Amino acid sequence: MSLWNMVLAETKFVYGDVFRRKSVLLTMIAYPYILALFVILLGYAMGSRQVFIEKTGAPPEIFFVTAGFLLISILGVSDDLLWRPNFELWLGTLQYVLISPLPRIYRYIAIPIPRLLIVVLVGATSIIPISIYYYGLGGLIEGAAIILMALLSGIFFTTPIMVIMGIIYGAGGESWRIINIVRPLLLILLGAYYPRYLMPLMGRIVSYLIPSSHIVEVIQLMMIDKLNVLYALSLIGIATALFVLYAPIGIKSINYWETKKLKEGIR
Amino acid sequence: MRKEAVVAENLKKKYFTKKRKGVLKAEKEIVEALKGVSFKIYSGEVVGLLGPNGAGKTTTVKIISTLLIPDEGNAWVYDYHVVKEANMVRKHLGVLLSVEKGFYGKLTGRENLEYFGLLYGLRRDELRKRIDYLMKLLELDKLGAADRLFEEYSLGMKARLGLARALLRDPPLLLLDEPTLGLDPPSARKIRELVKDLAHKEGKAILYTTHNMFEAEIVCDRIILINKGRVVAEGTPEQLKSLIPAIRTINMVVKGSDNVKPILQSLNIESYKIERANGIYNIKINTLKPEELLGELLKKFVNNGYETISLKIEEPTLEDVFIYFAEKGE
Repeated sequence: MSLWNMVLAETKFVYGDVFRRKSVLLTMIAYPYILALFVILLGYAMGSRQVFIEKTGAPPEIFFVTAGFLLISILGVSDDLLWRPNFELWLGTLQYVLISPLPRIYRYIAIPIPRLLIVVLVGATSIIPISIYYYGLGGLIEGAAIILMALLSGIFFTTPIMVIMGIIYGAGGESWRIINIVRPLLLILLGAYYPRYLMPLMGRIVSYLIPSSHIVEVIQLMMIDKLNVLYALSLIGIATALFVLYAPIGIKSINYWETKKLKEGIR
Repeated sequence: MRKEAVVAENLKKKYFTKKRKGVLKAEKEIVEALKGVSFKIYSGEVVGLLGPNGAGKTTTVKIISTLLIPDEGNAWVYDYHVVKEANMVRKHLGVLLSVEKGFYGKLTGRENLEYFGLLYGLRRDELRKRIDYLMKLLELDKLGAADRLFEEYSLGMKARLGLARALLRDPPLLLLDEPTLGLDPPSARKIRELVKDLAHKEGKAILYTTHNMFEAEIVCDRIILINKGRVVAEGTPEQLKSLIPAIRTINMVVKGSDNVKPILQSLNIESYKIERANGIYNIKINTLKPEELLGELLKKFVNNGYETISLKIEEPTLEDVFIYFAEKGE
């Protein structure tokens, strides 16, 4: 009941903050196209479309629209979690949120759930039309599968984000500048724009520790028709295991930050 | 017997700040916000927590509201410990910590209350009824504010919405930190009346901080004066006034020729202030026994051809008490 209440509360928040701000919603919908266009134009200036297809196995348009969609999906779900303490502090709502008697963890579970709606919406306006355009009606199934995977990827990103935010906020305070440094690194390590197998060893190791990066790999394999079901299931298994493993660390990490905040006082 | 709503015992809190000493160097500084604060609040009373800036009022409110962990000492809200049983304490209180901020701008007043109501664990059906009731009670519906975005609210509306949130769970204890700060007189009066009603008619315990002495005097049943992290005085406004040296002020307005000063000196009056405008003198005399001085004073002025326009003896105000204790702590 309490968790459901939290989900309802967050749905209200998302409605006000995203759906009521038409410019935000439109930007999110346009993001995969804008980024794909930018990267493709840059790519054409430096190489040819054919080379890209030979190297990756997928047309650049669909590859980058998918990459853009994945990024906005993962960001849409996890960013709110990462930025929320800063946002609440700035709005002056943090103290009223902290005095909620409901279990803290419920809130962090509830925050991403309504944002999954945005993932479906952006998927329906980017992946679905472009997949149908390239692959006909069969593309509809592939598009739907990518959206499903993106949802999973968004959810799987929440527990590592909890670990990271607890550490960053706990150790460095609520500084948006630190978040601004960490966030792009995380996005690169996800492997959406820069496939994991092309990363240097250290990058690849860190990437393997992020549950969502395994789902991104599954999606990329789907796009180039090299998906082996057993391999895909093992990647999803690893991602699930990491997601579960990070959950208690994430809770501890958030508790560490909150306790520190309660000792320092919220200004 | 009245029920104890809040019991605070020897609360101590230090903050660490940094004093910058160049680009890379910083020196840690310790600010002692509370140096052992103890008090009690009972159900059905409004207790004012007064003190100069930096006295420790907000720190005290935050500790009671479970938003700050004290370094030493204990506090209980309806017998629940504010640190060890924080969640139980949270179920018994409503807080208003700032009238200006604290809501989501892109949600309406009603949506904001729904958000926090759900966050505070209220059931949806009871929440809806409660919000309707509070919108009426605080006249937010009359002001057309219920379905307006919070970012479009005036300060008065924000304060009312803040109070509505504090009352969402109908808690037995309210902690209100300067709830009328910056409000226009009608909004401030509305909030003051409501606060008194909540305590006296509904039996809620209310801790109320303000810098407005006039407000403290009319709203609070009891006042705790705090300065430099310590409780320096406690009691009803009348009791507090009796604590300061009994200096009264004779305020006299007279009309006549220019020899006021020699008259006052002839009566051995040392502490006085004279303001003159168009042959009218406004004289303020500080004295311990105004009744003894008054007869002689009037006689002197009449004998010197002065016409007395007005005369009154001013009792010390709560502001005098506040200033007395604030200066005493310097």
